[in-house]
Amino acid sequence: MRTIAGKIYLLLAFFFLLVATAAFATSGYQGSNGDKDSPGSTAKASHNADDSTMRLEGEKRFHSNCSRCHANPVKFPPRMIATVIRHMRVRATITDEDMRLILHYMTQ
Amino acid sequence: MCITWRRKRVLYIWTLAILALGGATRGQDVDAKPVPILTGSTAYFTRFSSGTIQNAPVVSPLLLAPLGDKWLIEAKGNFSDTVSKTSQLDYTGTLLYGLNYAQVDYIANRFVTVSGGRFLTPFGIYGERLAPDWIKALQTAPLSRGTTSGSALGGMLRGGFSADTKNTVEINYAVYFSTCNTNHLLATDRTTGGRIGFFLPGPRVEIGASFQQLLQGDRSHAAGLHGEWQPNSFPLTLRSEFVRTSGLKGSAYWIESVYRLSQVPHLHKLELVGRGQQYYANAKLTQAAATLLGLPGTSTNQGDFGLNYYLRNDVRASASFGKQFAADGNNANIWMIGITYRFLVPLGSKGGAL
Repeated sequence: MRTIAGKIYLLLAFFFLLVATAAFATSGYQGSNGDKDSPGSTAKASHNADDSTMRLEGEKRFHSNCSRCHANPVKFPPRMIATVIRHMRVRATITDEDMRLILHYMTQ
Repeated sequence: MCITWRRKRVLYIWTLAILALGGATRGQDVDAKPVPILTGSTAYFTRFSSGTIQNAPVVSPLLLAPLGDKWLIEAKGNFSDTVSKTSQLDYTGTLLYGLNYAQVDYIANRFVTVSGGRFLTPFGIYGERLAPDWIKALQTAPLSRGTTSGSALGGMLRGGFSADTKNTVEINYAVYFSTCNTNHLLATDRTTGGRIGFFLPGPRVEIGASFQQLLQGDRSHAAGLHGEWQPNSFPLTLRSEFVRTSGLKGSAYWIESVYRLSQVPHLHKLELVGRGQQYYANAKLTQAAATLLGLPGTSTNQGDFGLNYYLRNDVRASASFGKQFAADGNNANIWMIGITYRFLVPLGSKGGAL
């Protein structure tokens, strides 16, 4: 019994290590690419980027991710949408980038 | 000796978990500060099956309380009062209430979210994503629901990220550990397990696998596969789950299709749903154990067909018919009609309407 449980824990430990490695590796990658997703620079990027392109991409991400379970969006105030999107980030494990683009699309 | 070994294991896992959090931490970048909200659904269902009529008003509130840029508290409860009328004209009432989940989430970085508390077990796609009344396409749950532990009390790491810079593949995962809890309202098993999924945003396809190991009782395990496809060219959703367990709970699979008639004038608010499923009971499963686990006592095939009509975006009327073929000959028809209303109320300043 201990052997089976031990194997499972080992697998879990390996998975955590994998995630840790990926997190470290990609945080370096982000930095070398202008940190385009960081909070400060996203604000800058959103000012500079073509707003309609972002909206279109957000709409695309909405249809790829949210439409799997939900009907078309209702327009809610931005602060409510921000909460719902954070909830979906956790529950539906949508990516960080998806979250930002969908939030942009749904709050415009 | 055993305790020391266990402590070492826990220490080892948490050390690695903390290492995982060492990546660049970032919060939610939004112009709008999130506000706490109360959402959820109210519903009324009537079910006819085997000479019994059941009427059930249901309320499922969900509280979402964001804290700062990275934290989220989420709690979902449910309350229902099922009034049954048998063919002998007896009335019985069953009051059900419970806490689906009450968890604290910390978005550590773009790869990892740490959750603690009571949460839904990450296994397959139905329990976490499709089970809420206002989302599920058919109000009858798949027969496979009882084959795995649905709730957990403990900790979980989860997340989703793009596997490449062009976002052609997204990977999502969840791993968790749950302790045993015998409280009748919050009962959980001592389990561990996880799920991994690969989502292709272009063709809108997801495939994934899940695993769950019971660390008590018969120490059985469950393994599952899931898949979902939404073609870009027409409004169809195809999804499926398969579960196989090593213990008494047997194995099952279901395939569901949902077609929204969005291209048909006057019927664009209508959705057609079909689902086929099979449950293979373990030969040692007794009827008493099956009832306790919420499983059919015998191998069962079931086909369901349903209609959903969206009166508004947040109000949906639904009707379905299912035919159950049991190996012991106790076949049944299951009719169900109902209406669901999804509410969303801000618990603070909304920050202006759009």
